[in-house]
Amino acid sequence: MSIIRRVLIANRGEIAVRVIRTCQRLGIETVLAVSAADADSVPARLADRTIGLGPAGGGPGGQGLADTYLSVPAIIDAAVAAGADAIHPGYGFLAENPRLARACEAAGIIFIGPGAEVLEAAGDKLAARTHAVAAGLPVLPGGPCGPAEAGALARRIGYPVLVKAAGGGGGRGLRVVREAADLEHAVAVASAEAQAAFGDPRVYLERYVSPARHVEVQLLGDGHNVIHLGDRDCSVQRRYQKLVEEAPAPLLGETLRVSMRVAAVALGLHLKYQGLGTVEFLVDRQRAAFWFLELNARIQVEHPVTEAITGLDLVAEQIAIAEGRGLGLSQASVSFDGHAFECRINAEDPAAGFRPSPGTVTGVTFPAGPGIRVDTHIQGGSAVPPRYDSLLAKLVVTGADRIQALARLRAALARCRITGVTTTVPMLSGMVDDAEWAAGGVDVGWLERYLERGGAGGWGGAGGWGGAGG
Amino acid sequence: MDVSLRDGNQSLWGATGLRTAHILQIAPVLNRVGFRALDYCSSTAMGVAVRTHREDPWQRIRLTRAAMPDTPLQFIGTGFRFISWERAHPDVMRLVYQRLVAAGISRFVVLDPTHDMGAVLATARMIRQAGGTEIIAALTYTISAVHDDAFYAGIAGQVAASRDIDRAYIKDPAGLLTPERARTLIPAVRARLAGKPLELHAHATLGLSPLVYLAAPGLGVSVLQVACGALSDGSSLPDASRTVANLRELGHTVKVDDRLLARAARYFDRLAAAESLPSGQPRAYDAAFTRHQLAGGVLTTLARQLAEIGLEDRFGAVIQEVTQVRAELGYPIMVTPFPQMVMGQALSNVISGNRYEVVPDQVIRYVLGSFGKPTADVEPWVLDRVLDRPRARELAAEPPPPSVAELRQRLPRGITDEELLLRFGMPGEEVDAMLAAAPAPRHYHPETQPILRLLRELGSRPPARRLVVDKPGFRLELTGPGRARS
Repeated sequence: MSIIRRVLIANRGEIAVRVIRTCQRLGIETVLAVSAADADSVPARLADRTIGLGPAGGGPGGQGLADTYLSVPAIIDAAVAAGADAIHPGYGFLAENPRLARACEAAGIIFIGPGAEVLEAAGDKLAARTHAVAAGLPVLPGGPCGPAEAGALARRIGYPVLVKAAGGGGGRGLRVVREAADLEHAVAVASAEAQAAFGDPRVYLERYVSPARHVEVQLLGDGHNVIHLGDRDCSVQRRYQKLVEEAPAPLLGETLRVSMRVAAVALGLHLKYQGLGTVEFLVDRQRAAFWFLELNARIQVEHPVTEAITGLDLVAEQIAIAEGRGLGLSQASVSFDGHAFECRINAEDPAAGFRPSPGTVTGVTFPAGPGIRVDTHIQGGSAVPPRYDSLLAKLVVTGADRIQALARLRAALARCRITGVTTTVPMLSGMVDDAEWAAGGVDVGWLERYLERGGAGGWGGAGGWGGAGG
Repeated sequence: MDVSLRDGNQSLWGATGLRTAHILQIAPVLNRVGFRALDYCSSTAMGVAVRTHREDPWQRIRLTRAAMPDTPLQFIGTGFRFISWERAHPDVMRLVYQRLVAAGISRFVVLDPTHDMGAVLATARMIRQAGGTEIIAALTYTISAVHDDAFYAGIAGQVAASRDIDRAYIKDPAGLLTPERARTLIPAVRARLAGKPLELHAHATLGLSPLVYLAAPGLGVSVLQVACGALSDGSSLPDASRTVANLRELGHTVKVDDRLLARAARYFDRLAAAESLPSGQPRAYDAAFTRHQLAGGVLTTLARQLAEIGLEDRFGAVIQEVTQVRAELGYPIMVTPFPQMVMGQALSNVISGNRYEVVPDQVIRYVLGSFGKPTADVEPWVLDRVLDRPRARELAAEPPPPSVAELRQRLPRGITDEELLLRFGMPGEEVDAMLAAAPAPRHYHPETQPILRLLRELGSRPPARRLVVDKPGFRLELTGPGRARS
């Protein structure tokens, strides 16, 4: 066991604030790695120290991601210079990059996350699929293919099929193909996209299930023991980006819920999983069936909904595992209490196809009160740089049950005021009033349909949302 | 080793200052400072949790253990009572230790106020069988004709010979040990410990212990017991940060995280300010103190009790009476439960004006020999006066304390062992009230307390149309429902 005394946080935004908060509670010194553009950010002011990333004198406009948050050498150099015992990578950027994990090992620094082998197994979607099969998890009919074999494989699977990139996720290199005539072109485009995004042209096919829900199971393991921390429903998505999550997943049925949890733990045990991870599943509403989608080997954006119903601090659990303490929790000691929602508040303009809306935040008012938590990195005067993620805040609302949580969510959203940049708050306020969503259990296509029909209250109409979101 | 959470709280805040949330908030930081162990709990502290705060003391131990996995938590006790001052059946004590180990206590002090080593060894054996991993025997220091260096060396020899006792500490509850005496006492004890580690726990009541602590490491003491911030000094133990700085000044190596030590001290300082609790201050030497020898916690409790009955002006008279009662009762060492016993008698004597007219049950039991043989004989006239009363005859004829099996028959069926032990040690209605209360909060921020108090006060008043907070450099005015400006 090695006690972490100083941690380098290799991230920015709300997750940097989130990690700083737990480290401060635990008495761990925080050093935040910052790009020049983030030198005056809220997390930079909350951290005990900051250390600059990238070439000196780059200036706010002169640094690219490749020089800063995506540079393994820059992050390692920063950690060494800061005298950090450990690196917390947050999510995104290098969080699931095996090269960072290996470089940490070489430098004698603790990487707060799974080992490089697990990151490789999870990061390569085809490898993850193979592991899932080996662990006995249901996967969708499909497999790897080049342009030549695609036709035969697709006929065997049955249309429609999904063309997916092996090298990464996030919706890039993803194509739905409904008939054979479109397949060859789709495989070629997806492969080119995958090459551009991940440097890996490999693609594979899977049966396309629709309508389907996205439900995931939170795992925590110490390399020997693995437990689950319940499930989350993340079906409210636009172009594979989650907007609203909730825990537990509503209207799932106990048999299905238990089966998914058991399957997720089986995969964790198969991989000797160490740290926090999430097994994502596709759920067929009608047939009460589920299939493995992917494994995310990091803390998720939506982890607060799990914290809300378990009472756990997942960042503290990550740190404890990274210190080599072993799992302090047993499955029996984890209990679930209440229901929680998370809304992602982004600096985006829903009326303009969710175009990012960078700028300067001029004023912020967030709600407070029982069952309300806001994870954010903005305050009045905060810059929202164009090059980074548009996530401004996560509004997390908990209630004794889903009905109470929903009522609190509506009231809380109505009290959010962010000025200076356009945000998704008005769109979310309208969405949570939609009867179909409020009933629970919508599928991953629901949000697109909701947006196409203009939302329950005619959202997107001229001026309808100007007040709070402008 | 730090004693803030138990002895600091007991010495300076009458054991009632700290709640579960206060402890849990700082537990992860204390865990990382690098303390050898934390003096954490006693049966008195457990009783206070139930009685004063309506909080489950067992749950408090479990939550603290989870928040503080690396630093051993210590329980201190005599081995013959649990919460109640009455003697407990050995069966009950065995169950106490088993439940404490299960909840997360690993280090135990065995402390017998009469230095009855037979009782100490039996208790140590019981704790070891219950799963206690570190057992430390108290050599309770006092000044008397019998308590010379050879006396303590003899006890050290018995500690060395016991397989169930891992280490010893010199416990100076009244802060009487001088650097001069330390220079002969510590080597004499060390010489007989056969290599078992020796710790030192000296209260700062007379301002002597910070000086003793400078000498102790050079004499072979390997652990100094200290306290943090507001919970140090006064009648508590020496301040941790200053002790560390002084030791380093003398060339010693002390492996603690200074940043976190300072943070823990700051936390207790802020907590004291937020809760209007006194902060321990360095004390000047008080020669009269060596006569009554009352530990800090007893003094603060006395001051509180006298204030409650409007007799705060009799503080000096009670202290004077303590000196006399202690002599008449055969010079019991002033450690739990004897200070409370002597104090109770002294208080009765002062209030009634007729000495030994009213005699608390504890004194009758002591005179009857329930706590072992007094170190010196009780004054014959006092012995007669105490025993010549119906209550003494009743207590002499008292049945032995109930065993666990008897308690199970007597108490509600199906209750847990933890609840059974609380119901054994306390009135049932106190336990009922604790069980009926909501679970203890787990977070506490001293900085937010003033605003929370303000909000609570506002909420308890009739609605006002206008509220003004006005102080230098700040003005807040709230007017009417729904309209606010600042």
